[in-house]
Amino acid sequence: MTDQEIFGKVKECLIDALGVEDDEVGPEATLVGDLGAESIDFLDIIFRLEKVFDMKIPRGDLFPEDILLGEGNIEDGKLTEKGLAQVREKLSSLDISKLEKNPRVSQISNLFTVKMIADYMKSKVG
Amino acid sequence: MRLEKQVAIVTGGARGIGRKIAEVLASEGAKVFIVDLADPGGSLPQGMEFIEGDVRSPAAAEKIVTGVVDRCGRLDILVNNAGIVRDTLTLSMERSAWDEVIETNLGGAFNFTKPAARFMIARKRGRIINVSSIASRVGGKGQGNYAASKAGIEAFTRTVALELAPKGVTVNAVAPGLIETEMSERVRDMAGNALRRAIPARRYGSPEDVAAVVLFLALPGASYITAQTIVVDGGLSVAGPRPGA
Ligand SMILES: NC(=O)c1ccc[n+]([C@@H]2O[C@H](COP(=O)([O-])OP(=O)(O)OC[C@H]3O[C@@H](n4cnc5c(N)ncnc54)[C@H](O)[C@@H]3O)[C@@H](O)[C@H]2O)c1
Repeated sequence: MTDQEIFGKVKECLIDALGVEDDEVGPEATLVGDLGAESIDFLDIIFRLEKVFDMKIPRGDLFPEDILLGEGNIEDGKLTEKGLAQVREKLSSLDISKLEKNPRVSQISNLFTVKMIADYMKSKVG
Repeated sequence: MRLEKQVAIVTGGARGIGRKIAEVLASEGAKVFIVDLADPGGSLPQGMEFIEGDVRSPAAAEKIVTGVVDRCGRLDILVNNAGIVRDTLTLSMERSAWDEVIETNLGGAFNFTKPAARFMIARKRGRIINVSSIASRVGGKGQGNYAASKAGIEAFTRTVALELAPKGVTVNAVAPGLIETEMSERVRDMAGNALRRAIPARRYGSPEDVAAVVLFLALPGASYITAQTIVVDGGLSVAGPRPGA
């Protein structure tokens, strides 16, 4: 599958799950901030990706929300060093410098962009 | 026919309230699968089909829901109606009676809601209707397990409703008062006429009274109602003492 095909399929899933317009789904668009996604949408997106790409996506793999639940990962609404280390490990392909500067929990969702999903699917499809 | 082409699952649909709900949905054109412990026997009305299953089993629920979706390509309506009573004072209640009621009445709703919701959000439509009871809010001695299960199902209803609202799926509950079915027979027999007179409407409810509200919640017009519990009790739960009134 070419990169373009992968991106097209990801886009299709996001349009269906979030009810957004084709031209809103640029690579840099953030799911929460720009496309209005909320928690149920993350599940919906995973289900749709699984269907469209015909594969299983392990929970916590694409959107590692479980980092938020980990013991000692969060203090005062911010990620601790331990939490940040886990983000680095799980989302190794991402530039998390912004998050390092402002490790508020609410900033994590800004890491989730359309490109990030496309990159993840690329790594899976091979 | 207002539910043409729609597909519904009604748990505990072999008899009583569930059976009537299934019949009413089917009479509006829906294909209705009733899930129950044992085959009700006899021929079922047009559009209704029996599936044997125990709502306490998550694996069975998953299999039944997936089977229905595989066969029909859709699931529009889920009615979590299966319920039991095991009444006895808390001080004499065995833990097994507590578990059995919670697992059937509350656990059963969870078991079916989870796989059903998954298919419903994919199609961005669906109605989940849970059958509660006024026991969730008015005390009934000997019903600690039952009342807790019904208060639980109403709280569960509100939570799932919020979670699924962005996906076009509504989740509501119906809370019947005293309805003439086998379940309430003992209570009605014991209390005699005094109980009926305590009901402002001066009659017990019928399964039709409950089914009418479930149908309303399933119809297209109710798409903006979610997270609600509608009480169907002839006024029983708000009636105080009526000295000479
Ligand atoms: N009858 C009333 O006065 C009344 C009042 C308030 C609420 N309700 C609620 O209405 C619902 C239906 O009650 P009803 O009066 O029709 O009772 P009912 O006993 O006549 O019917 C209940 C049905 O559920 C089935 N069932 C029980 N356990 C099951 C299981 N584990 N798996 C699958 N099916 C199972 C039974 O086999 C039966 O067919 C229940 O949730 C009940 O709590 C009834």
